[in-house]
Amino acid sequence: MRAYIVSTIVGVFAVDENNRLLSSKAFPKEPREAAEKLKLSEIEMLDEERFVRDVLGKKGFREFIFGYRKAGVKHVEPNSPAEQFVKDNVRKLAVDAKIFSNPADLNQFLTKATIELAKVHIKKSIQRDSLVVQANGALEDLDKSINIYMERLREWYGLHFPEMDRAVSGHEKFATLVAKFGDRENVTDADVEGLKKNSMGADLEDEDIRMMQSFAGKILEMYKLREDMVSYVEGILKKVAPNLLDVAGVSLAMRMIAKSGGLARLSRMPSSTIQLIGAEKALFRFLKGKGRSPRHGIIFGHPLIQGARDEHRGKLARLVASKMSIAAKLDFYGKEYRGDKLKKELTEKAKTIVSSKA
Amino acid sequence: MNRIFDGVFVDRGDFFTRNMVPGRRVYGEDLARSQGIEYRRWDFTRSKPAAALKNGIRNFPLHEGMKILYLGVASGTTASHFSDIVGLEGMIYGVDISQRVLRQIIPIAEERGNIAPILGDTRKPEEYAGLILEKVDLVFEDVASDDQIPILIRNCDKFLRSGGFAMIAIKSQSIDVVKSPKEVYRECVGELEKNFEILEKVELDPHEKHHLMVVMRKK
Repeated sequence: MRAYIVSTIVGVFAVDENNRLLSSKAFPKEPREAAEKLKLSEIEMLDEERFVRDVLGKKGFREFIFGYRKAGVKHVEPNSPAEQFVKDNVRKLAVDAKIFSNPADLNQFLTKATIELAKVHIKKSIQRDSLVVQANGALEDLDKSINIYMERLREWYGLHFPEMDRAVSGHEKFATLVAKFGDRENVTDADVEGLKKNSMGADLEDEDIRMMQSFAGKILEMYKLREDMVSYVEGILKKVAPNLLDVAGVSLAMRMIAKSGGLARLSRMPSSTIQLIGAEKALFRFLKGKGRSPRHGIIFGHPLIQGARDEHRGKLARLVASKMSIAAKLDFYGKEYRGDKLKKELTEKAKTIVSSKA
Repeated sequence: MNRIFDGVFVDRGDFFTRNMVPGRRVYGEDLARSQGIEYRRWDFTRSKPAAALKNGIRNFPLHEGMKILYLGVASGTTASHFSDIVGLEGMIYGVDISQRVLRQIIPIAEERGNIAPILGDTRKPEEYAGLILEKVDLVFEDVASDDQIPILIRNCDKFLRSGGFAMIAIKSQSIDVVKSPKEVYRECVGELEKNFEILEKVELDPHEKHHLMVVMRKK
Protein backbone atom coordinates (compact mmCIF):
# COMPACT_ATOMS: atom_id res chain seq x y z
CA MET A 1 0.00 0.00 0.00
CA ARG A 2 1.14 3.53 -0.79
CA ALA A 3 1.21 6.52 1.53
CA TYR A 4 2.14 10.11 0.85
CA ILE A 5 4.05 11.81 3.62
CA VAL A 6 3.82 15.60 3.62
CA SER A 7 5.35 18.08 6.08
CA THR A 8 3.59 21.33 6.88
CA ILE A 9 4.24 24.07 9.39
CA VAL A 10 2.05 22.34 11.99
CA GLY A 11 3.37 18.84 11.55
CA VAL A 12 3.64 15.78 9.34
CA PHE A 13 0.60 14.22 7.64
CA ALA A 14 0.23 10.97 5.75
CA VAL A 15 -2.60 10.43 3.30
CA ASP A 16 -3.45 7.70 0.79
CA GLU A 17 -4.25 8.10 -2.91
CA ASN A 18 -7.82 9.01 -2.04
CA ASN A 19 -6.70 11.80 0.25
CA ARG A 20 -7.78 9.98 3.38
CA LEU A 21 -5.80 10.95 6.45
CA LEU A 22 -3.80 7.90 7.58
CA SER A 23 -1.59 9.25 10.31
CA SER A 24 -0.02 12.44 11.61
CA LYS A 25 2.58 13.74 13.98
CA ALA A 26 2.57 17.29 15.28
CA PHE A 27 5.64 19.49 15.30
CA PRO A 28 6.55 21.13 18.61
CA LYS A 29 4.24 24.07 19.15
CA GLU A 30 7.19 26.37 19.55
CA PRO A 31 6.90 28.54 16.43
CA ARG A 32 10.58 28.98 15.70
CA GLU A 33 11.30 25.30 16.10
CA ALA A 34 8.38 24.39 13.84
CA ALA A 35 9.51 26.84 11.18
CA GLU A 36 13.03 25.43 11.29
CA LYS A 37 11.72 21.87 11.03
CA LEU A 38 9.75 22.76 7.94
CA LYS A 39 12.82 24.21 6.27
CA LEU A 40 14.90 21.21 7.32
CA SER A 41 12.35 18.77 5.92
CA GLU A 42 13.44 19.76 2.42
CA ILE A 43 16.88 18.27 2.93
CA GLU A 44 16.68 15.60 5.58
CA MET A 45 14.33 13.06 7.12
CA LEU A 46 12.75 14.52 10.25
CA ASP A 47 12.08 12.45 13.37
CA GLU A 48 8.38 13.18 12.92
CA GLU A 49 8.48 11.89 9.35
CA ARG A 50 10.27 8.74 10.45
CA PHE A 51 7.69 8.28 13.21
CA VAL A 52 4.77 8.49 10.78
CA ARG A 53 6.52 6.14 8.36
CA ASP A 54 7.15 3.54 11.09
CA VAL A 55 3.57 3.71 12.38
CA LEU A 56 2.27 3.08 8.87
CA GLY A 57 4.90 0.39 8.27
CA LYS A 58 3.42 -1.58 11.12
CA LYS A 59 0.00 -1.24 9.50
CA GLY A 60 1.29 -2.85 6.34
CA PHE A 61 2.21 0.16 4.20
CA ARG A 62 5.26 -0.46 2.06
CA GLU A 63 5.60 2.46 -0.34
CA PHE A 64 6.22 5.92 1.11
CA ILE A 65 6.22 8.90 -1.17
CA PHE A 66 7.88 12.19 -0.21
CA GLY A 67 7.96 15.58 -1.90
CA TYR A 68 11.74 16.02 -1.57
CA ARG A 69 14.69 13.82 -2.38
CA LYS A 70 16.69 13.17 0.80
CA ALA A 71 18.49 10.39 2.64
CA GLY A 72 16.22 7.48 3.57
CA VAL A 73 13.65 8.31 0.89
CA LYS A 74 13.02 5.87 -1.97
CA HIS A 75 10.06 7.40 -3.74
CA VAL A 76 9.91 11.06 -4.66
CA GLU A 77 7.03 12.83 -6.29
CA PRO A 78 7.13 16.62 -6.01
CA ASN A 79 3.80 18.42 -6.07
CA SER A 80 1.78 15.25 -6.06
CA PRO A 81 -2.02 15.63 -5.89
CA ALA A 82 -1.84 14.24 -2.35
CA GLU A 83 0.71 16.87 -1.34
CA GLN A 84 -1.47 19.53 -2.89
CA PHE A 85 -4.48 18.19 -0.99
CA VAL A 86 -2.66 18.30 2.32
CA LYS A 87 -1.38 21.82 1.69
CA ASP A 88 -4.84 23.05 0.74
CA ASN A 89 -6.47 21.50 3.77
CA VAL A 90 -3.95 21.96 6.55
CA ARG A 91 -6.44 23.87 8.66
CA LYS A 92 -9.02 21.12 8.53
CA LEU A 93 -6.45 18.33 8.90
CA ALA A 94 -4.83 20.04 11.88
CA VAL A 95 -8.16 20.22 13.66
CA ASP A 96 -9.14 16.67 12.58
CA ALA A 97 -5.85 15.27 13.84
CA LYS A 98 -6.44 17.20 17.08
CA ILE A 99 -3.21 19.14 16.73
CA PHE A 100 -5.23 22.31 17.30
CA SER A 101 -8.64 22.52 18.94
CA ASN A 102 -9.98 25.32 16.72
CA PRO A 103 -9.01 27.47 13.72
CA ALA A 104 -8.34 30.59 15.81
CA ASP A 105 -5.74 28.74 17.89
CA LEU A 106 -4.06 27.59 14.71
CA ASN A 107 -4.06 31.18 13.49
CA GLN A 108 -2.34 32.36 16.65
CA PHE A 109 0.30 29.72 16.24
CA LEU A 110 0.74 30.42 12.55
CA THR A 111 1.23 34.14 13.00
CA LYS A 112 3.72 33.53 15.79
CA ALA A 113 5.64 31.10 13.59
CA THR A 114 5.83 33.45 10.61
CA ILE A 115 6.73 36.36 12.86
CA GLU A 116 9.64 34.36 14.28
CA LEU A 117 10.72 33.42 10.80
CA ALA A 118 10.40 36.99 9.54
CA LYS A 119 12.55 38.15 12.43
CA VAL A 120 15.25 35.67 11.48
CA HIS A 121 15.06 36.74 7.84
CA ILE A 122 15.26 40.41 8.75
CA LYS A 123 18.27 39.74 10.91
CA LYS A 124 19.99 37.94 8.05
CA SER A 125 19.07 40.57 5.47
CA ILE A 126 21.12 43.24 7.24
CA GLN A 127 24.52 43.18 5.59
CA ARG A 128 27.65 45.23 6.06
CA ASP A 129 26.65 47.49 3.19
CA SER A 130 23.58 48.63 5.19
CA LEU A 131 26.10 50.27 7.49
CA VAL A 132 27.60 52.09 4.52
CA VAL A 133 24.16 53.40 3.57
CA GLN A 134 23.57 54.73 7.08
CA ALA A 135 27.06 56.18 7.42
CA ASN A 136 26.54 57.98 4.13
CA GLY A 137 23.31 59.46 5.49
CA ALA A 138 25.09 60.48 8.67
CA LEU A 139 27.82 62.17 6.65
CA GLU A 140 25.28 64.11 4.62
CA ASP A 141 23.58 65.23 7.83
CA LEU A 142 26.91 66.15 9.32
CA ASP A 143 27.91 68.27 6.32
CA LYS A 144 24.63 70.10 6.45
CA SER A 145 24.99 70.73 10.17
CA ILE A 146 28.57 71.90 9.87
CA ASN A 147 27.52 74.40 7.22
CA ILE A 148 24.71 75.75 9.36
CA TYR A 149 26.96 76.12 12.40
CA MET A 150 29.75 77.69 10.36
CA GLU A 151 27.41 80.32 9.00
CA ARG A 152 26.40 81.11 12.55
CA LEU A 153 29.98 81.26 13.78
CA ARG A 154 30.95 83.62 10.99
CA GLU A 155 28.05 85.94 11.80
CA TRP A 156 28.73 85.76 15.50
CA TYR A 157 32.48 86.31 15.37
CA GLY A 158 31.76 88.99 12.78
CA LEU A 159 30.49 91.23 15.57
CA HIS A 160 34.00 91.23 16.94
CA PHE A 161 36.17 90.85 13.85
CA PRO A 162 34.12 91.27 10.64
CA GLU A 163 37.17 91.50 8.38
CA MET A 164 38.15 87.89 9.00
CA ASP A 165 35.04 86.56 7.26
CA ARG A 166 36.34 87.46 3.82
CA ALA A 167 40.02 87.02 4.59
CA VAL A 168 39.61 83.38 5.67
CA SER A 169 37.30 81.54 3.29
CA GLY A 170 37.99 78.00 4.47
CA HIS A 171 35.47 76.97 7.12
CA GLU A 172 37.74 74.66 9.01
CA LYS A 173 40.54 77.18 9.18
CA PHE A 174 38.14 79.87 10.34
CA ALA A 175 36.89 77.73 13.19
CA THR A 176 40.43 76.75 14.12
CA LEU A 177 41.53 80.38 14.36
CA VAL A 178 38.58 81.33 16.53
CA ALA A 179 38.99 78.35 18.82
CA LYS A 180 42.71 78.77 19.16
CA PHE A 181 43.11 82.54 19.57
CA GLY A 182 39.77 84.00 20.58
CA ASP A 183 40.23 87.75 20.80
CA ARG A 184 41.26 89.29 17.46
CA GLU A 185 44.31 90.88 19.08
CA ASN A 186 45.70 87.39 19.68
CA VAL A 187 45.07 85.99 16.22
CA THR A 188 48.36 85.29 14.50
CA ASP A 189 47.87 84.31 10.89
CA ALA A 190 49.32 85.73 7.69
CA ASP A 191 45.87 86.21 6.13
CA VAL A 192 44.54 88.47 8.85
CA GLU A 193 47.61 90.14 10.31
CA GLY A 194 47.07 93.51 8.64
CA LEU A 195 43.36 93.63 9.34
CA LYS A 196 43.50 93.47 13.13
CA LYS A 197 44.50 97.01 13.83
CA ASN A 198 41.84 98.93 12.05
CA SER A 199 38.97 96.50 12.65
CA MET A 200 35.47 97.92 12.76
CA GLY A 201 34.35 95.11 15.10
CA ALA A 202 33.17 95.76 18.60
CA ASP A 203 35.46 95.19 21.58
CA LEU A 204 33.85 92.40 23.54
CA GLU A 205 34.14 90.99 27.04
CA ASP A 206 36.19 87.90 27.71
CA GLU A 207 33.11 85.84 28.47
CA ASP A 208 31.64 86.71 25.06
CA ILE A 209 34.77 85.56 23.29
CA ARG A 210 35.00 82.40 25.39
CA MET A 211 31.53 81.34 24.33
CA MET A 212 32.44 81.75 20.65
CA GLN A 213 35.62 79.77 21.20
CA SER A 214 33.74 76.97 22.80
CA PHE A 215 31.25 76.95 19.90
CA ALA A 216 34.08 76.91 17.36
CA GLY A 217 35.67 74.04 19.30
CA LYS A 218 32.53 71.96 18.95
CA ILE A 219 32.47 72.57 15.22
CA LEU A 220 36.06 71.37 14.98
CA GLU A 221 35.02 68.21 16.79
CA MET A 222 32.42 67.68 14.11
CA TYR A 223 35.11 67.98 11.46
CA LYS A 224 37.07 65.36 13.34
CA LEU A 225 34.02 63.12 13.53
CA ARG A 226 33.56 63.52 9.80
CA GLU A 227 37.12 62.43 9.16
CA ASP A 228 36.74 59.41 11.44
CA MET A 229 33.55 58.44 9.68
CA VAL A 230 35.12 58.59 6.24
CA SER A 231 37.98 56.35 7.28
CA TYR A 232 35.49 54.03 8.98
CA VAL A 233 33.53 53.71 5.73
CA GLU A 234 36.73 53.18 3.81
CA GLY A 235 37.51 50.30 6.17
CA ILE A 236 34.14 48.67 5.48
CA LEU A 237 34.43 49.23 1.74
CA LYS A 238 37.87 47.63 1.69
CA LYS A 239 36.22 44.48 2.95
CA VAL A 240 32.86 44.44 1.16
CA ALA A 241 33.62 46.33 -2.06
CA PRO A 242 37.37 46.53 -2.69
CA ASN A 243 36.96 46.67 -6.47
CA LEU A 244 34.41 49.44 -6.42
CA LEU A 245 36.51 51.34 -3.91
CA ASP A 246 39.50 51.31 -6.27
CA VAL A 247 37.51 52.39 -9.29
CA ALA A 248 35.34 55.03 -7.65
CA GLY A 249 37.12 56.23 -4.51
CA VAL A 250 35.62 56.31 -1.01
CA SER A 251 33.05 59.03 -1.25
CA LEU A 252 31.69 58.08 -4.66
CA ALA A 253 31.62 54.35 -3.90
CA MET A 254 29.77 55.10 -0.70
CA ARG A 255 27.27 57.38 -2.35
CA MET A 256 26.67 54.89 -5.15
CA ILE A 257 25.88 52.11 -2.70
CA ALA A 258 23.64 54.38 -0.68
CA LYS A 259 21.73 55.83 -3.62
CA SER A 260 21.16 52.49 -5.29
CA GLY A 261 19.98 50.91 -2.04
CA GLY A 262 22.86 48.57 -1.30
CA LEU A 263 25.60 46.66 -3.03
CA ALA A 264 23.22 43.89 -4.10
CA ARG A 265 21.03 46.31 -6.02
CA LEU A 266 24.01 48.19 -7.44
CA SER A 267 25.58 44.97 -8.69
CA ARG A 268 22.44 44.18 -10.67
CA MET A 269 22.26 47.53 -12.38
CA PRO A 270 23.35 47.97 -15.97
CA SER A 271 26.09 50.53 -16.39
CA SER A 272 23.69 52.86 -18.19
CA THR A 273 21.67 53.09 -14.99
CA ILE A 274 24.75 53.54 -12.85
CA GLN A 275 25.81 56.38 -15.12
CA LEU A 276 22.58 58.27 -14.39
CA ILE A 277 21.96 57.55 -10.70
CA GLY A 278 21.13 60.90 -9.20
CA ALA A 279 20.04 62.42 -12.53
CA GLU A 280 16.54 60.91 -12.48
CA LYS A 281 14.79 64.21 -12.74
CA ALA A 282 16.69 65.21 -15.86
CA LEU A 283 16.32 61.72 -17.34
CA PHE A 284 12.55 61.62 -17.00
CA ARG A 285 12.24 65.17 -18.26
CA PHE A 286 14.16 64.00 -21.32
CA LEU A 287 12.02 60.87 -21.68
CA LYS A 288 8.93 63.04 -21.69
CA GLY A 289 10.37 64.83 -24.69
CA LYS A 290 11.70 67.97 -23.06
CA GLY A 291 15.34 68.87 -22.74
CA ARG A 292 18.45 66.86 -23.49
CA SER A 293 19.44 63.54 -22.10
CA PRO A 294 21.62 63.87 -19.00
CA ARG A 295 25.17 62.54 -19.27
CA HIS A 296 25.97 61.95 -15.64
CA GLY A 297 24.38 61.72 -12.21
CA ILE A 298 26.36 61.50 -9.02
CA ILE A 299 29.07 59.76 -11.02
CA PHE A 300 30.11 63.30 -11.90
CA GLY A 301 31.92 63.28 -8.54
CA HIS A 302 34.55 61.02 -10.12
CA PRO A 303 37.79 63.01 -10.57
CA LEU A 304 38.23 61.78 -14.16
CA ILE A 305 34.91 63.30 -15.18
CA GLN A 306 34.99 66.37 -13.01
CA GLY A 307 38.44 67.29 -14.20
CA ALA A 308 37.68 66.81 -17.88
CA ARG A 309 36.58 69.28 -20.53
CA ASP A 310 32.87 69.52 -21.18
CA GLU A 311 32.90 67.76 -24.56
CA HIS A 312 34.57 64.65 -23.10
CA ARG A 313 32.40 64.27 -20.04
CA GLY A 314 29.65 62.18 -21.64
CA LYS A 315 32.06 59.59 -22.99
CA LEU A 316 34.01 59.52 -19.75
CA ALA A 317 30.86 59.08 -17.70
CA ARG A 318 29.93 56.09 -19.84
CA LEU A 319 33.40 54.61 -19.40
CA VAL A 320 33.54 55.12 -15.63
CA ALA A 321 30.02 53.71 -15.24
CA SER A 322 30.93 50.58 -17.16
CA LYS A 323 33.98 49.96 -14.98
CA MET A 324 32.01 50.63 -11.83
CA SER A 325 29.37 48.18 -12.96
CA ILE A 326 31.99 45.49 -13.45
CA ALA A 327 33.55 46.32 -10.09
CA ALA A 328 30.23 46.12 -8.23
CA LYS A 329 29.47 42.76 -9.82
CA LEU A 330 32.89 41.44 -8.87
CA ASP A 331 32.40 42.60 -5.31
CA PHE A 332 28.94 41.17 -4.86
CA TYR A 333 29.21 37.90 -6.74
CA GLY A 334 32.86 37.15 -7.21
CA LYS A 335 34.66 38.29 -4.09
CA GLU A 336 37.71 38.40 -6.31
CA TYR A 337 40.08 41.35 -6.28
CA ARG A 338 40.79 42.92 -9.64
CA GLY A 339 40.46 46.58 -8.68
CA ASP A 340 44.02 47.52 -9.63
CA LYS A 341 43.57 46.17 -13.15
CA LEU A 342 40.21 47.84 -13.59
CA LYS A 343 41.64 51.12 -12.46
CA LYS A 344 44.54 50.85 -14.86
CA GLU A 345 42.23 50.08 -17.76
CA LEU A 346 40.06 52.98 -16.73
CA THR A 347 42.85 55.55 -16.67
CA GLU A 348 44.30 54.31 -19.96
CA LYS A 349 41.00 54.42 -21.82
CA ALA A 350 40.26 57.79 -20.29
CA LYS A 351 43.52 59.08 -21.73
CA THR A 352 42.57 58.04 -25.26
CA ILE A 353 39.19 59.73 -24.89
CA VAL A 354 40.66 62.96 -23.61
CA SER A 355 43.35 63.09 -26.29
CA SER A 356 40.98 62.34 -29.17
CA LYS A 357 39.47 65.17 -31.16
CA ALA A 358 35.78 65.60 -30.50
CA MET B 1 -22.14 54.34 12.05
CA ASN B 2 -23.66 52.63 9.00
CA ARG B 3 -22.43 49.34 7.67
CA ILE B 4 -21.71 49.46 3.94
CA PHE B 5 -19.72 46.25 3.47
CA ASP B 6 -18.81 43.36 5.73
CA GLY B 7 -16.82 44.96 8.54
CA VAL B 8 -16.72 48.38 6.86
CA PHE B 9 -18.66 51.29 8.31
CA VAL B 10 -19.26 54.85 7.21
CA ASP B 11 -19.94 57.93 9.25
CA ARG B 12 -20.13 61.43 7.76
CA GLY B 13 -17.96 60.65 4.77
CA ASP B 14 -15.31 58.77 6.76
CA PHE B 15 -14.76 55.03 6.75
CA PHE B 16 -14.20 52.86 9.78
CA THR B 17 -13.42 49.30 10.79
CA ARG B 18 -14.00 47.74 14.19
CA ASN B 19 -10.85 47.93 16.25
CA MET B 20 -9.67 44.41 16.94
CA VAL B 21 -7.35 45.67 19.69
CA PRO B 22 -9.40 48.35 21.47
CA GLY B 23 -7.47 51.35 22.65
CA ARG B 24 -4.59 50.79 20.24
CA ARG B 25 -3.76 52.88 17.20
CA VAL B 26 -1.66 51.53 14.34
CA TYR B 27 -0.67 54.63 12.39
CA GLY B 28 -2.01 57.55 14.41
CA GLU B 29 -5.57 57.22 13.07
CA ASP B 30 -8.61 58.56 14.94
CA LEU B 31 -10.56 56.23 17.17
CA ALA B 32 -14.33 56.54 17.40
CA ARG B 33 -16.86 54.98 19.72
CA SER B 34 -20.40 54.07 18.85
CA GLN B 35 -22.76 52.01 21.02
CA GLY B 36 -19.92 50.64 23.11
CA ILE B 37 -17.85 49.50 20.12
CA GLU B 38 -14.57 51.09 19.20
CA TYR B 39 -13.78 51.86 15.56
CA ARG B 40 -10.64 52.98 13.78
CA ARG B 41 -10.90 55.62 11.06
CA TRP B 42 -9.68 54.29 7.73
CA ASP B 43 -7.72 57.19 6.25
CA PHE B 44 -8.47 57.37 2.53
CA THR B 45 -5.44 59.54 1.90
CA ARG B 46 -3.14 56.84 3.23
CA SER B 47 -4.77 53.58 2.21
CA LYS B 48 -5.75 52.67 -1.33
CA PRO B 49 -8.78 50.46 -0.57
CA ALA B 50 -10.17 53.33 1.54
CA ALA B 51 -9.57 55.69 -1.39
CA ALA B 52 -11.53 53.25 -3.57
CA LEU B 53 -14.35 53.27 -1.00
CA LYS B 54 -14.30 57.06 -1.04
CA ASN B 55 -14.61 57.00 -4.82
CA GLY B 56 -17.66 54.75 -4.57
CA ILE B 57 -16.42 51.24 -5.27
CA ARG B 58 -19.31 48.75 -5.35
CA ASN B 59 -17.42 45.44 -5.21
CA PHE B 60 -15.47 45.05 -2.01
CA PRO B 61 -14.89 41.33 -1.56
CA LEU B 62 -13.69 41.19 2.06
CA HIS B 63 -15.49 39.15 4.66
CA GLU B 64 -15.03 37.82 8.14
CA GLY B 65 -12.90 34.66 8.27
CA MET B 66 -11.31 35.30 4.88
CA LYS B 67 -7.78 34.26 4.03
CA ILE B 68 -5.94 37.01 2.18
CA LEU B 69 -2.59 37.12 0.44
CA TYR B 70 -1.36 40.70 0.56
CA LEU B 71 1.51 41.48 -1.80
CA GLY B 72 3.40 44.56 -0.69
CA VAL B 73 2.06 44.92 2.87
CA ALA B 74 4.63 47.58 3.70
CA SER B 75 4.24 48.95 7.22
CA GLY B 76 0.77 47.53 7.72
CA THR B 77 -1.50 50.56 7.49
CA THR B 78 -3.95 48.92 5.11
CA ALA B 79 -3.28 45.42 6.45
CA SER B 80 -4.42 46.49 9.92
CA HIS B 81 -7.85 47.37 8.55
CA PHE B 82 -8.04 44.11 6.62
CA SER B 83 -7.12 42.43 9.88
CA ASP B 84 -10.06 44.18 11.60
CA ILE B 85 -12.41 42.96 8.88
CA VAL B 86 -11.36 39.30 8.66
CA GLY B 87 -11.21 38.83 12.44
CA LEU B 88 -9.61 36.09 14.52
CA GLU B 89 -10.42 33.22 12.19
CA GLY B 90 -9.27 35.08 9.11
CA MET B 91 -5.69 35.34 8.02
CA ILE B 92 -3.56 37.84 6.17
CA TYR B 93 -0.34 36.61 4.63
CA GLY B 94 1.60 39.82 4.14
CA VAL B 95 4.60 39.65 1.82
CA ASP B 96 7.07 42.47 1.37
CA ILE B 97 10.56 42.65 -0.02
CA SER B 98 11.82 45.41 2.26
CA GLN B 99 13.08 44.53 5.71
CA ARG B 100 12.81 48.18 6.69
CA VAL B 101 9.02 48.30 6.45
CA LEU B 102 8.45 44.73 7.60
CA ARG B 103 10.20 45.68 10.82
CA GLN B 104 7.29 48.02 11.50
CA ILE B 105 4.55 45.48 10.88
CA ILE B 106 5.94 42.91 13.30
CA PRO B 107 4.67 44.52 16.51
CA ILE B 108 1.28 45.03 14.82
CA ALA B 109 1.17 41.37 13.79
CA GLU B 110 2.18 40.30 17.28
CA GLU B 111 -0.76 42.02 18.94
CA ARG B 112 -3.33 40.97 16.32
CA GLY B 113 -2.74 37.29 15.72
CA ASN B 114 -4.10 37.18 12.18
CA ILE B 115 -1.30 38.80 10.20
CA ALA B 116 1.58 36.61 9.05
CA PRO B 117 4.46 38.85 7.92
CA ILE B 118 6.73 37.31 5.30
CA LEU B 119 9.98 38.78 4.05
CA GLY B 120 10.04 37.76 0.44
CA ASP B 121 10.15 38.78 -3.19
CA THR B 122 6.69 38.65 -4.77
CA ARG B 123 8.33 37.82 -8.09
CA LYS B 124 9.39 34.50 -6.61
CA PRO B 125 6.27 33.00 -5.03
CA GLU B 126 7.91 29.58 -4.67
CA GLU B 127 10.22 31.05 -2.02
CA TYR B 128 7.41 31.66 0.44
CA ALA B 129 5.01 28.96 -0.73
CA GLY B 130 5.78 26.79 2.32
CA LEU B 131 4.53 29.51 4.65
CA ILE B 132 1.17 29.96 3.01
CA LEU B 133 -0.98 27.32 4.51
CA GLU B 134 -3.86 27.23 2.08
CA LYS B 135 -5.45 28.57 -1.05
CA VAL B 136 -6.58 32.08 -0.25
CA ASP B 137 -9.89 33.81 -0.94
CA LEU B 138 -8.40 37.11 -2.00
CA VAL B 139 -5.10 38.29 -3.40
CA PHE B 140 -4.50 41.99 -2.88
CA GLU B 141 -1.56 43.62 -4.58
CA ASP B 142 -0.07 47.03 -3.97
CA VAL B 143 3.51 46.95 -5.19
CA ALA B 144 5.01 49.82 -7.12
CA SER B 145 6.79 47.95 -9.85
CA ASP B 146 6.68 47.77 -13.63
CA ASP B 147 5.93 44.05 -13.51
CA GLN B 148 3.03 44.34 -11.10
CA ILE B 149 0.61 42.65 -13.50
CA PRO B 150 2.71 39.47 -14.04
CA ILE B 151 3.37 39.38 -10.29
CA LEU B 152 -0.37 39.31 -9.61
CA ILE B 153 -1.03 36.65 -12.23
CA ARG B 154 1.72 34.35 -10.97
CA ASN B 155 0.68 34.64 -7.36
CA CYS B 156 -2.98 34.07 -8.20
CA ASP B 157 -2.10 30.97 -10.22
CA LYS B 158 -0.31 29.59 -7.23
CA PHE B 159 -2.31 30.71 -4.23
CA LEU B 160 -5.80 31.90 -5.21
CA ARG B 161 -8.65 29.39 -5.02
CA SER B 162 -10.86 29.12 -8.07
CA GLY B 163 -13.70 31.62 -7.80
CA GLY B 164 -11.53 33.69 -5.47
CA PHE B 165 -11.04 37.41 -5.82
CA ALA B 166 -8.11 39.61 -6.74
CA MET B 167 -7.64 43.32 -6.21
CA ILE B 168 -4.79 45.37 -7.57
CA ALA B 169 -3.80 49.00 -7.25
CA ILE B 170 -2.20 49.75 -10.59
CA LYS B 171 0.29 52.57 -10.39
CA SER B 172 0.65 53.89 -13.90
CA GLN B 173 3.74 55.90 -13.01
CA SER B 174 5.57 52.73 -12.06
CA ILE B 175 4.69 50.92 -15.24
CA ASP B 176 5.43 53.67 -17.72
CA VAL B 177 5.98 57.32 -16.86
CA VAL B 178 5.91 58.45 -20.43
CA LYS B 179 2.54 57.06 -21.46
CA SER B 180 -0.63 58.64 -20.19
CA PRO B 181 -2.25 56.86 -17.21
CA LYS B 182 -5.36 56.04 -19.27
CA GLU B 183 -3.25 54.27 -21.85
CA VAL B 184 -1.36 52.29 -19.20
CA TYR B 185 -4.63 51.31 -17.52
CA ARG B 186 -6.07 50.09 -20.82
CA GLU B 187 -3.06 47.87 -21.52
CA CYS B 188 -3.00 46.49 -17.98
CA VAL B 189 -6.70 45.73 -17.88
CA GLY B 190 -6.33 44.01 -21.26
CA GLU B 191 -3.67 41.76 -19.73
CA LEU B 192 -5.81 41.07 -16.67
CA GLU B 193 -8.86 40.21 -18.75
CA LYS B 194 -7.06 37.20 -20.17
CA ASN B 195 -6.80 35.72 -16.68
CA PHE B 196 -9.72 37.15 -14.73
CA GLU B 197 -13.27 38.26 -14.95
CA ILE B 198 -13.11 42.01 -14.33
CA LEU B 199 -15.75 43.13 -11.88
CA GLU B 200 -14.95 46.78 -11.44
CA LYS B 201 -12.41 49.52 -12.07
CA VAL B 202 -12.13 52.61 -9.90
CA GLU B 203 -9.65 55.44 -10.33
CA LEU B 204 -8.17 56.58 -7.04
CA ASP B 205 -7.48 60.19 -7.98
CA PRO B 206 -7.25 62.59 -6.23
CA HIS B 207 -6.46 60.58 -3.08
CA GLU B 208 -3.81 58.52 -4.82
CA LYS B 209 -2.56 60.13 -8.00
CA HIS B 210 -2.40 57.99 -11.16
CA HIS B 211 -3.75 54.84 -9.53
CA LEU B 212 -6.46 52.48 -10.68
CA MET B 213 -8.05 49.87 -8.43
CA VAL B 214 -9.26 46.80 -10.27
CA VAL B 215 -11.45 44.14 -8.67
CA MET B 216 -11.46 40.74 -10.35
CA ARG B 217 -12.60 37.19 -9.95
CA LYS B 218 -10.57 34.13 -10.90
CA LYS B 219 -12.15 32.21 -13.73
